[in-house]
Amino acid sequence: MLRTLRILPRLALMYLRSQLEYRGAFWIDRVAQVITYASSFAVIWILADRFGTIAGWNWSELALLFSFHLLGYSLGACMSFTQMRQLEEAVRLGTLDTLLTKPISPWAYMVFSGLNPGYTGHALLGIVMMGWALSIVAVPWSIGWVAYFLASLISAAMVTGAVLTMIGATALIWTRSNHLYSLFFGFWELSRYPINIFPTAIQATMLSFVPLGFMAAVPVAVLLGKPVPILGDWAGPAALLAGPFFVALAMWQWRYALDRYQGAGG
Amino acid sequence: MSVYFAFARSAFLTQLAYRHEVWANMIGKLVQVFARVAIWVAIYGGTASIAGVSLEQMVTYALLGGAVTGAIRYESIISGIGQALRTGDVAVWLLKPASFPLYVLATELGRAAFRFVILVVPTVAVVAAVYGMLPPASPFHGVMFVAYGLLAYTIIALLSALFGLVAFWLLTSFSLEWMMQAILNLLSGQLIPFWFFPAPVAVIAAHLPFAWIVYYPSAVWLGRLDVTATLSYFGLGLGWAALLAVGVVLLWRQASTRIVVQGG
Repeated sequence: MLRTLRILPRLALMYLRSQLEYRGAFWIDRVAQVITYASSFAVIWILADRFGTIAGWNWSELALLFSFHLLGYSLGACMSFTQMRQLEEAVRLGTLDTLLTKPISPWAYMVFSGLNPGYTGHALLGIVMMGWALSIVAVPWSIGWVAYFLASLISAAMVTGAVLTMIGATALIWTRSNHLYSLFFGFWELSRYPINIFPTAIQATMLSFVPLGFMAAVPVAVLLGKPVPILGDWAGPAALLAGPFFVALAMWQWRYALDRYQGAGG
Repeated sequence: MSVYFAFARSAFLTQLAYRHEVWANMIGKLVQVFARVAIWVAIYGGTASIAGVSLEQMVTYALLGGAVTGAIRYESIISGIGQALRTGDVAVWLLKPASFPLYVLATELGRAAFRFVILVVPTVAVVAAVYGMLPPASPFHGVMFVAYGLLAYTIIALLSALFGLVAFWLLTSFSLEWMMQAILNLLSGQLIPFWFFPAPVAVIAAHLPFAWIVYYPSAVWLGRLDVTATLSYFGLGLGWAALLAVGVVLLWRQASTRIVVQGG
C-alpha cells in the first residue's frame, strides 16, 4: 500500500515532465484556455451589466458562482476527464489489458499517470476571479462560513470527478463511452448559472441523475443565503454530502464495470 | 468538384453508423437549447420588451442562433488539420490530385448537413413547440435568411480552416480551437445579440466577419434589418467570405512549402 502511494507522485511527475517538454505549446494552450473562459465570463458580465440581475443574482454573486464552478471543475477534472476519455481507446486497442496485469490499481495508475497539468490555466483564473468576487460580494464572514465554503468546494470537485469517471467507466462494459461526454458538457454549460432559472424538469435532472447542480449552483446559493428549488432547507447538507455520495457510487460502478470487463473482442 | 461532393457524402453517411452518438448529441443539444432559452426567459422575468426587443423575438433569436453553430463543428476542421500535421498524413495529401483544405472542409460540411437534419431541426422544433417561435418578418426576410445561413456556413468553415492552417506555424492546434471558441462566444452574437452590447463594442462587432455566423442570419429573420440594409450587409458578408477564401489559399500555399513531418 505504502509502496503504491510512493509511486503515484512519481507517475504524476513523469507525465508533467512529458507535457512540459513542449513548453511553448503548453503555455500557449493555457493562455488560450484562460482567454476562452474570460470570454464566457464577459458574456455573463454583459448580461449582468445590461439587466442588473439574473433571476435575483447580481453581478458579484454571478462572478462568485462562475469562479466556484471553474475552480471546482478544474480540481475534479484534472483527476478524471482526459484520463477517462482515453479509456474507450484503451479498451478498443486492448492496452487496458496490459494495465490490468500491473501490480497497482488500474484506476490509480490511469489517473496519476495522466494527472493533467493542463488545468493550471483554469485553476489560476478560477482563484484570481474567486478572490476578486469574494472581495466585492456581500458575504457573512465567519469561521463556519469559510469551513462550509472549502468543504463544499471539495465536494463539488468530487462530484465532477465522480461523474466524469462514471461516464468513462461505461466503456468497460459497452466499449464506447465518449459520446456521453457531449451529454455531460450540455449540462455542464448550464451548471454555471443559478439553478432556479431552469424549468423544473432540468432542475430535477441536475440534482439527481446528472448531479451537476452540486458543482456550483447549489453550494453557492447556500453560501449566499439564496433559496434552492426542490431541495429547500436540505440544500446545505446535500451540497456537502453530494461529493462523498457520488464518489462512493463511482467507486462501486468502477468495480462493477471492471468485473464485467471482457475486452473489445476480436 | 464531384470528388469533394463524394467526400461530403461519405462523411454524411459515416455519421449514420454511430447511432448512440446521435442520441447522446441530440439530448445534449436539446438541453443546451432549452437552457439558452431559459436564461432569456429568466432575464426578461415578466418584462414584455427590453430595448425594443420582445421576449418572443429573443427566444426566436436564441433558437436560430444554434442553427449554424449547432450543425458545424469548427473544432473538427481545426483538429482535422492539426492531426494531419501531427501524424504526417498531410505529406501524403500533397501527392494526391485533390486539395487538402477543400477535403477537410467538404467532409465537415457533409457531417454538418447530417447534424442539421438529425440534430438541429428536431431540437429547434421541440423547443419552439414549448416556448413558441416567430415566423420570418416577411417572405423577403425568410428567403434572405436562407441565403445568410449558407453564407454563415461558408464563413465559419473558412475561418476554421484559416485557424487550422496557423497550426503549421504553432505546431499545436489545441490553442487555436480554444481561441475560436472565445471568438464565437463573444463576437458571433451566439450568446448575446449585439443590440445588448455596449454601443462602441456593438458597432465594431457588427462589422467583423464573425457577426455573419449567428447575428446577421437571426437579425434578418426577425426583420431587424430593412430591405436595403439586408442586401448591403449580405454584400459585405460576401466580401468577407471572399477575403477569407483568399486568406486560406495564400496560407495553404505558404504552409505547404514549410511542412515538417515529425517523427516517421
